[in-house]
Amino acid sequence: MKEKAYHSIHITKDKCIGCVHCLTACPTKAIRVQDGKARIIDELCIDCGECLRVCPYDAVHSHTTSFAALDAFAYKVAIPSTVLYGQFGSAILPNEILSALRRIGFDEVYDLSSICELNCAATEEYLNEHPRPRPFITATCPVVVRIIQGRYPALCRQILPIEPPREIAAKILRTILPKALNIPPEKIGIIHLTPCPAKMVSINSPATLNKSYIDGAISIRDIYPQILAALRKSQEDALMRHLFPETQFSGIGMGWSLSGGETRGLKNHRAVAVSGIQDTMRVLDQVESGLLQDIDLLECTVCPDGCVGGPLEVENRFLAKSRILQLVDAAGERAVVDPKDVSRLYHKNFLSFDHPVTPVESRPLDADPARAIRKAKRRERVFADLPRKDCGVCGAPDCRTLADDIVRGLARLDDCPFVKKEKR
Amino acid sequence: MAAEDVYRQEFPVKGGDFAKAGAVACRIKDLLKDLGLDTKTIRRAAIASYEAEMNVIMYAWEGRVNLAVSPREVSITVDDQGPGIADIELAMTEGYSTATPEMRELGFGAGMGLPNIKKNADIFHIDSESGRGTRLEIVIRTNGHKT
Repeated sequence: MKEKAYHSIHITKDKCIGCVHCLTACPTKAIRVQDGKARIIDELCIDCGECLRVCPYDAVHSHTTSFAALDAFAYKVAIPSTVLYGQFGSAILPNEILSALRRIGFDEVYDLSSICELNCAATEEYLNEHPRPRPFITATCPVVVRIIQGRYPALCRQILPIEPPREIAAKILRTILPKALNIPPEKIGIIHLTPCPAKMVSINSPATLNKSYIDGAISIRDIYPQILAALRKSQEDALMRHLFPETQFSGIGMGWSLSGGETRGLKNHRAVAVSGIQDTMRVLDQVESGLLQDIDLLECTVCPDGCVGGPLEVENRFLAKSRILQLVDAAGERAVVDPKDVSRLYHKNFLSFDHPVTPVESRPLDADPARAIRKAKRRERVFADLPRKDCGVCGAPDCRTLADDIVRGLARLDDCPFVKKEKR
Repeated sequence: MAAEDVYRQEFPVKGGDFAKAGAVACRIKDLLKDLGLDTKTIRRAAIASYEAEMNVIMYAWEGRVNLAVSPREVSITVDDQGPGIADIELAMTEGYSTATPEMRELGFGAGMGLPNIKKNADIFHIDSESGRGTRLEIVIRTNGHKT
């Protein structure tokens, strides 16, 4: 039997009232309302979290790691997304946030901005060595990778095969920490703190690794109150701590979570950054039609403005963005990574995918092409009879999708309230 | 080939409608995915139909893209009413273009359109009458049916 794909996004049935908000927000038309409750079609869901953003009843839930679950590890390491630095006012410096994380129970905390810088340098090297194809597409956003696997299979080979900073950081820590601490590797828990529901998917069913180097992902929303409390308790200390900064942040990596941040450090290549799910799909459509070949690297993030617009953050994204831009300005062009180290890791394939991205099974109307053609014709006829109001009352997001469901045998014509009325 | 085994659809294209650039190619691509054709065939059809659609948008007054899909092949026929092509042989040369500076500004008109269509097609015919219009016939055989 086929293994069921892991998903982070789930509907809490008790809270769902069967309205149409998530239906219309879903970019892959993966939601149907049946018997008064929303249901997600597994094969179509890309875990982007658009439904989570729009649900007025808090009925969409994303499965992330709970803080309590970390007790399973003897040594707990946090690698927070740089989005975290934008979640608190401008008086609170990243070093204080990292130290607050230590106080709430992490044994060690590592900043990712240096690894973001490393990733950028490795990307530059990869582009130098591979003049074709163009454009390459960055693999940082797990939802983009998933969309490409499902909807743009021909573009799988254009995904730039360097692991994203979170995985590189975890791999480095997994290599060095067991020896340094003399703790067995399985007792060390490496946890990503993130505004993104899809990170749990890339951890549990990685598209490019045999096994993720990360043990879990805690939502920024969940851990925010604890960090805030720890920060409040130590305001006095923080003042003095400013004078002894523990971590040197990378100016090149600091803005990574803003759209364009991944490619800002590229020196010799032309990059384009796209954010937001609709625009991402639009530009991938263009790439699939053979366009944008004069671009070396295409950075796509499905959240608006980049990861800083992730659905599981707390601060509104405009304020978070403004705060991160301040930090980018403050760090300037500061580089903290030696390019020679990057080159060595790169040539050891330490930064590469374990295996290329492969397409996931598509969902044709029928496995037999001749039958699929007949169904497509029937779908056009069915669609012609529908009112094109896209009201969602039938439980499908729009009339075209209802027609599709009908020929697939998943819905019936009289699910449409307008068709029913005419019959009466 | 039995008629019920061919899916046909016509898509109108309006000259100068840059806002909808690529819309027809996208619909064709989505449809071919629904029909379960192989990735390579879909990619070739996407590129060829995009270039053909753009030619109508850039140079003609109006046109129609006619799609016919059977399990064996994808056929895309594009008819337009427009200025036509004075010298077809020249137009088929890579890099040759009559695009205006404005079109180039938008990133179009690199002179790769027709050669690109030909490269992605198994059968390609072009017919044009100066001052009347152009007709392109593109056939892409699905994988496993290559001759």
